[in-house]
This record gives sequence, structure tokens and C-alpha cells, in this order.
Amino acid sequence: MILWENFDKNEIYVLIMLVVAYTAFFLIPKKLPTSITILFLVWGFASSTVFDFTIGGGLLDFYQVNDSNKYELFDFLSYFLFAPFSYFFIYFYERFHIGRKAFIFYVLGWCFVALLMEKVSGYMGLTHYQRGYNMKYSLVVFLVVQTTTAIYYELLKKKEPVYK
Amino acid sequence: MGFVVFFFLAWLIVSLFVVIKKKLTFAENTLVFLVVLIVSINFSWIVIEELKLIKLTKTSLGYTGFILNRSIIIPILTVIHVNLLLWCHSLMMKISLFVSVVIILIGVSSLSNFYDITEFKHWNYWYDGIYFFILNGMAIFSYNLYARASRNVVSY
Repeated sequence: MILWENFDKNEIYVLIMLVVAYTAFFLIPKKLPTSITILFLVWGFASSTVFDFTIGGGLLDFYQVNDSNKYELFDFLSYFLFAPFSYFFIYFYERFHIGRKAFIFYVLGWCFVALLMEKVSGYMGLTHYQRGYNMKYSLVVFLVVQTTTAIYYELLKKKEPVYK
Repeated sequence: MGFVVFFFLAWLIVSLFVVIKKKLTFAENTLVFLVVLIVSINFSWIVIEELKLIKLTKTSLGYTGFILNRSIIIPILTVIHVNLLLWCHSLMMKISLFVSVVIILIGVSSLSNFYDITEFKHWNYWYDGIYFFILNGMAIFSYNLYARASRNVVSY
């Protein structure tokens, strides 16, 4: 495990994005209960960790995060980026009262945002594709993550005492 | 064979989790699972890929067995442990349960070695025991912390 290989634009990009994302997280009016906020922050961190260490490393190794295949401090920091986005996904889901009719458009909208962010991340040197992987495949990942997140949230609303 | 054994174990652990009477809420179970999953993934990566203390199989089926252990068996078994712990009234029962779960996790680890999914290079079962002990401690700690945070909110 290393801190970084070269401290350049990808590390600066991660730091700027962390500041932007967490500033937005603290500034937007609170709409969700604390327990649900914590849960979806951890959910976002876990989702990115699962995919990065399963398809982005190990036997598949479809992409490299930051400058090397070694585990860098900025790899770890980049997972913190996904935490507020998971929260924003649920925050706006609730804010816009997403129901059956809007569900598909909501998920597709977020997929578009995610693909755009991935394009920027690639340009900034945060992600490097390898072994024939390209951005098309990321759409599958985003569809899976965002759909399961929304379904899980619907289930949570039915089961959790905080919503009753 | 290793893949089949680990698939069966994953199925068994998930089924056990489904059928047991749970003390934790849906959100609490999820949070503990996610925290243990994050630690399990990061720990296995550092020990295997970074420090090379354990050698991991290159076969795809064996590797899938490893993924099942890392991402399902270890986290769900720990969540079951936290649920069962809340049913225990005496300290002795809690300690016995804690030790039993750590022994079961070491047993799963030995199966992983037996089926050549992993091979200890500079690692042993004592280190595994310490890791599982800390992991289960972290699960209980995260549950307590989250339950406290959940209680401090007004109903939505």
C-alpha cells in the first residue's frame, strides 16, 4: 500500500471532488433521518468497494484506479466520493417523490450523470481501462447499482420503524 | 469441488440468516453487513495482493469461491453473530458465542486452504483468529454506534 505514485492531476481531482461533494452534502437541507443518511453513505462506499475490488482488480482486473495497480491512499479516498452520491440519489428520489412512472427515467438520468462523471474521471487520470474494458460496460454496473439502491430504499421504507 | 463447497456454505449461511429470528432492524442488519463487507474486502486485498502473505488461486471457479467467502459468508455470518448476541443474557453465553463464531470462520478459512483456493505463505490460523476476533468486535461496535444514532432521531 502506497500513498501515491505521482501527485498530479488525478490526486488533485479526487481532492477537489471530495470538497465539492461533501460541501454539497452538508449544505443541502436535511430531508432524510440521520439513520438513513448514515446507511446510504455506507451503502455508496460499499458499492464502489465491491465493484472496484471485484471487476477492477483480482482475476478480472478490468480497470486501474489512479496511477498504479497497487492500493494507493487516493484509491481509498476515491471510495469516499461515492458515499455522498449514494445519499444524493436517495435524497432526490425522496425530494422529487419518484414513483412507478418516473422510476425508469430517474435511474436513466442518474446513469447519464454517472457516465459523464466517469468520462471526466478518465480524462483526469483517475480510471484507466484495461483488458478490453470500456465505458459501455460501466453502464451495466450503474444500472445494477442504482436499480438495487432504489429497490432497497423502497423495501426499507416498508420495513423500517423510522418511516412509520 | 472448492467452488461447490463455498457455494453451499454461502447458501447455508444466507438461509440461516433468513430463518433466524432477528433482533436487529432491517437497516441495522444492512449497516453491519456493509461495514463488515468493506473491512473484509479491504483486508483480504491488502493481505493477499499487497503484502502477499496469502497466495490466491488463479482458477476462475476457485476465485469465485474466494469471492463468495469474502463477500457473503464472512459478512453474513458476522451479522448472524450480532443478532444472536442480543439473545444472550449472560456474559458467559456471549463469550461462548463469540468464540464459536471465530472458530467457525477459522474452519471456513481452513476449507479454503484444503481446496487450494488460498495458500498461507506468511500467515497462520492464529492471525486469522485475531482478524476474525477484531472483525466481529468491529461489527458489534458499529451496531452499537448506529443503534445510538438511530435512537436520537424523530420519526420521519
